[in-house]
Amino acid sequence: MEVQHRLRLLSRIIGMKGPIICRAIVTVTQRSGQSYTVGRHLPPTWRGGASAGWCRSFSDVSARTCTALVYRKHGDPPEVVQSENMELPLMGEKSVLVKMLAAPINPSDINMVQGTYAILPDLPAVGGNEGVGQVLEVGSQVTSLKPGDWVIPRDAGLGTWRTTAVFNEVSLAEVPRDIPLLAAATLGVNPCTAYRMLSDFEALKPGDSVIQNAANSGVGQAVIQIAAARGIHTINVVRDRPGVQQLSDRLLAMGASHVIKEETLRQPEMKDFFKKCPRPKLALNAVGGKSATELLRHLQGGGTMVTYGGMAKQPVTVPVSSLIFKDVKVRGFWVTQWKRDHAHDERALSEMLAQLAALIREGKLTAPACSEVGLQDFRGALDRAMQPYMSAKQILVM
Amino acid sequence: MRALRRVRQTWGSVWCRAWEGNEHQRTAQRAEGTRNLHICSALVYRQNGAHADVLRLERMALPPVDKHCVRLKILAAPVNPADINMLQGTYPIRPTFPAVGGNEGVGEVIEVGSDVTSLSPGDWAIPVGAGFGTWRTEAVCDASDIIKVPKDISLLGAATIGVNPCTAYRMLHDFQPLRPGDTVIQNGANSAVGQAVIQIAAALGVKTICIIRDRYEHSEDLLSMGADYVVTEETLKGSEMERIFQEVPRPKLGLNCVGGPYSGYLLSQLDHDGTLVTYGGMARKPLPVPAKALIFKNIHLRGFWLTMWKRDNRKGKQEHQHETPKLLGGILITTTFLHTRPIRPSQVTSFKSLETLDNAMHCYIIINRTPDHKLCQ
Repeated sequence: MEVQHRLRLLSRIIGMKGPIICRAIVTVTQRSGQSYTVGRHLPPTWRGGASAGWCRSFSDVSARTCTALVYRKHGDPPEVVQSENMELPLMGEKSVLVKMLAAPINPSDINMVQGTYAILPDLPAVGGNEGVGQVLEVGSQVTSLKPGDWVIPRDAGLGTWRTTAVFNEVSLAEVPRDIPLLAAATLGVNPCTAYRMLSDFEALKPGDSVIQNAANSGVGQAVIQIAAARGIHTINVVRDRPGVQQLSDRLLAMGASHVIKEETLRQPEMKDFFKKCPRPKLALNAVGGKSATELLRHLQGGGTMVTYGGMAKQPVTVPVSSLIFKDVKVRGFWVTQWKRDHAHDERALSEMLAQLAALIREGKLTAPACSEVGLQDFRGALDRAMQPYMSAKQILVM
Repeated sequence: MRALRRVRQTWGSVWCRAWEGNEHQRTAQRAEGTRNLHICSALVYRQNGAHADVLRLERMALPPVDKHCVRLKILAAPVNPADINMLQGTYPIRPTFPAVGGNEGVGEVIEVGSDVTSLSPGDWAIPVGAGFGTWRTEAVCDASDIIKVPKDISLLGAATIGVNPCTAYRMLHDFQPLRPGDTVIQNGANSAVGQAVIQIAAALGVKTICIIRDRYEHSEDLLSMGADYVVTEETLKGSEMERIFQEVPRPKLGLNCVGGPYSGYLLSQLDHDGTLVTYGGMARKPLPVPAKALIFKNIHLRGFWLTMWKRDNRKGKQEHQHETPKLLGGILITTTFLHTRPIRPSQVTSFKSLETLDNAMHCYIIINRTPDHKLCQ
């Protein structure tokens, strides 16, 4: 913010046009590979390598601000995340002013604040990687969006826990406005993960089975529903807990074929189970440790286990015999990497979002059980998001 | 009365089992009196257990050579870990009892049936699939159960070409496209497969980082065979690896036959999108795979079993088998660690001395002497 202020002063003193100074002073930052940087004194939007065109609106200075959940160091989220009043950068030709409507708190968001995630923004940073916003204003060279559109981020790290933001057009993807708000807010990460895992690893036909742990997670519920829409059976493993029956009923009502407790999966009776249900070709793991090993055990020969999370914070234990004699394939999936690998092909993401939106309209895909929390009550939401056996996703609404 | 009947029944069944158990011996004895039937000596087992307990040297009659069959005299056969596992009953392939041990070896064709065109007397051949039973002096089998190999390679090279060098070859070709200058990292580098990997990779211009256990003494031999780096398991944990990766690129392919925690360290050395292929589990422990390696580094984990590859690729196998001997003909196969033990009636004693798996792996049985032929390169 101070850079901006100084440039303004400098231009008035020298009497030169803003753009000339800007081009001389502003360094274009390139995003490189896995890591990205959020400029220390620059708002996140500037790191996208845009030209200095933003300087054109130097003259119409209206200091727009927003409220954002910022962290200046890594640590325990309820402690290090603070609500701050932030100045917004000026709009450039390719900028889009977005009013955030709702943004969830996902495990990866927590990990990013804790500093344990694979990609970390430069600090200070705004938390949140997912959410839906409404376009308020667009720069003069923005072609794909107009005020009123609903948008979600195309990549991680944009910082969605805020009331308003200025993003570059290329960072945003449009989503239809005729789907429920909470579905839109939780569309970009978990349903996309579920979609890709069900599509990209094994050729699944109607009647095939998929087995997964963490079945009541955001991804888990999306897997159940997308699989059901495709005629694929799901064997859903959940931890035992008080109220597990209601949880099981809820998942079955959503389209799950079977819901099994972790303990049951380890019983010899599972052999009889697989006499009436085909052995799964695909296993989805978000837990690790023994739970993952159990999924592997029940996988069909030649099948694949895809790991997309590690909630138990234990390694995935792979028996050697599964690899050698059962020819199982052990893979991982990261939706952020998929988005980056397909960034050049805009249609890839749009088509997936369109198919997911169609399922939502048909009532075949619903948002997970959510708990809406006002932005000002973020601390409680962060706390609850970190509790085990959490049954409702915390969604910040602005 | 009933008790007496039961005793008689019990003794009767014991006697029957003893009679059946010795059937091979009796057939052999009868055969000796008949000129047309051939007899062989074989290491037979009738139940699963430790090799010292269950293997017995016996004389067995051979079936007559049908028009599509071949009779071979076995020249040499190795003792592989899979052979020991099969005796113990821990291998997925379970032959029916009584069974002859040994899955690999080279034989010389003595006699062919009238319809056999692929082989002639004097040819060298190795078994196509597992479960042949090579620890024997002679065998009669279908011509399609064996495949011809060239005779211009060493005897032990031919005896051990079928499993380990083929495993090495397939792992280097089927999982990651490798170009000259690329790197492969492997543990168990001093094993038969490991040595084959070193040599085949060197011939392909691919660099190898070879991991051995701390107490291993023959790292110079691996280096002279073509390994680029030989490091101990402990080194994997430290910063020495960073120095190596300043000289060669991070490996895209890792080969694992150990398992356990050290295979986790091996995995962590792989480059993004790399593949770890597991073909053995000497530590008898699972692989601990950090979720981060799978999610953020996109590491692929696969397994390889040559027997399965052979089943799935019966047509293409012929070309593969011809390519490998040519390649190996040009490669020096070191035999520094071999102890050759000729098969003799007192073979049971020598098998008893194979107390550890290490010893078993280094054992080659010379069954029929070929004085004109070089034993090893």
